Amino acid sequence: MKRVYLFCNAGMSTSLLASKMQEVATQYNLPIEVKAFSDSKMEDIVSQFNPDVILLGPQVKYLEKETKAKYEPNTPVEVINLEDYGKVNGERVLKFAISLIKNKGKG
Amino acid sequence: MLDKLENVLGPIAEKLNNNKVLIAIRDGFLISTPLIIGASVFLLIQNFPINGYSEFMASIFGENWSTYLGAVSGATFSLLAMINVICIGYVYARELGSEGMVGGIVALVSFLILTPQSHPNFVNDAGKSFSGFAYSNLGSSGLFLGMICAIVSVLIFNKIEKKGWVIKMPAGVPPMVAMSFSALIPAFFSMTFFFLLRIGVSLTSYNFAHDMIMEVLQAPLMGLGRLPIFPVLYQFFSTLFWFFGINGPAVTNTVFSPITTVLTQENLSVFLEFGMKADLPNIYTASFSDFFGNYGGGGSTLSLVICMLFFAKSQRLKQLGRLSIVPGIFGVNEMVIFGLPVVLNPIILVPFILVPVMNISLGYIATAIGLIPRTFGISIPWTMPIFFSGWLATGSFKAAFFQIFLLILGILVYYPFFKVLDKQYLEEETKGLESETDELDDISLSDISFD
Repeated sequence: MKRVYLFCNAGMSTSLLASKMQEVATQYNLPIEVKAFSDSKMEDIVSQFNPDVILLGPQVKYLEKETKAKYEPNTPVEVINLEDYGKVNGERVLKFAISLIKNKGKG
Repeated sequence: MLDKLENVLGPIAEKLNNNKVLIAIRDGFLISTPLIIGASVFLLIQNFPINGYSEFMASIFGENWSTYLGAVSGATFSLLAMINVICIGYVYARELGSEGMVGGIVALVSFLILTPQSHPNFVNDAGKSFSGFAYSNLGSSGLFLGMICAIVSVLIFNKIEKKGWVIKMPAGVPPMVAMSFSALIPAFFSMTFFFLLRIGVSLTSYNFAHDMIMEVLQAPLMGLGRLPIFPVLYQFFSTLFWFFGINGPAVTNTVFSPITTVLTQENLSVFLEFGMKADLPNIYTASFSDFFGNYGGGGSTLSLVICMLFFAKSQRLKQLGRLSIVPGIFGVNEMVIFGLPVVLNPIILVPFILVPVMNISLGYIATAIGLIPRTFGISIPWTMPIFFSGWLATGSFKAAFFQIFLLILGILVYYPFFKVLDKQYLEEETKGLESETDELDDISLSDISFD
């Protein structure tokens, strides 16, 4: 099971996107778990579940540098594209997450 | 111009978000929030804003019906400073790399060392004075002192721990036992500091740190918070950050929430004492900010979404309207912020900043002249939909209708700007500009495997 974890301030709007992404993953029978959390819980969550990808909502883009410094290269960290986020495009963001898992360790 | 501003605001957000003291205070409050909301439900049941409700309850459950509910307020609101001391101490210790739980307890003890423990004015029949902690020192009036105690005590604890002045247990000792010994010396230093501080304060004209902090810090800061410009500035900056795609309140709350929290608690403690007849001290509270500033999230975009739902001609805005109406009702609007987009969109900038500032100013004026009542200070989740939120926060339907009035006013302000955008999108659509595709679209989800 691959874990794709999303973080934003309250975990509200990311949870909407996460449920869309989970829907798509389930539809294609992909062994992926997508969940959303509040950024204040990031440290606990990451150390407990060791996700395969960390995606940040664009509204917490300012956490990018810090988060990358903490978890990369073990866990890829990226900010979700503005437009996909705004349209709650679960499919494209899921593909983005998959491409990050696939490229992990390739440089 | 916009680029320059972005270059200024981005780093500010990053700095505030990385400041461990501010994180500790903000996230500490966050830990206690669910409890406060939970206790507010009990308080609402006790004081439901309907005429004749109290008499009705008394006729079913007897005259004392509200005493039981009052026990919940006593265990939460009246101990608010104490609860937050533990939470802030916990988060700060964790941020500094110490054991969180130990930090919370060290903070609590440090705070209580400074708190009066005997009350010579209260004497029983036998002539013995009452000893113990009093609500009056552990609630809203102790909030600022609590924040300071939590930060200072954990800082001392952490510094001593980092110096390595700890008792190390030999290998094989259970970790829990080892932890209690390693915390011993650092905790002792924190306690000694606050012990000396208590003696020091008693030598001044103030008897207790509570009086001192109240007079030199809390009262002046509250004066600042009561100025009408305070809520306006809060709204302006929160919305400005959103315009650059940064979660505005998350940034501004780090600075504003210590003051807002105390203002809110001041109203609440008066409300606890006098109920619906209370003469509440503050106009601006957390729920005032939540429910009279923005409808549907930052920028008060529920008005904009309603424009999209009913007046959009372009497919793009029609779809976005349908997508964002339900989350918008509950105050979530990232779809609008990033999907419209609001971010760095000069057309929408004016109403986006103007509407919340207008809302909060009109709300302030309406409250000041008595058109709508003040907010109780009880906690209602910020996701509570408009109308219900205004009613529950003030106990009056006038406030609920006032919210609707602001929502409609917001539609009028947004409409002309929305039209410009809609026209622009419609032209793009009729020209049939192809949407761009990239490598993500080439990924096929039906043949993915992980190994």
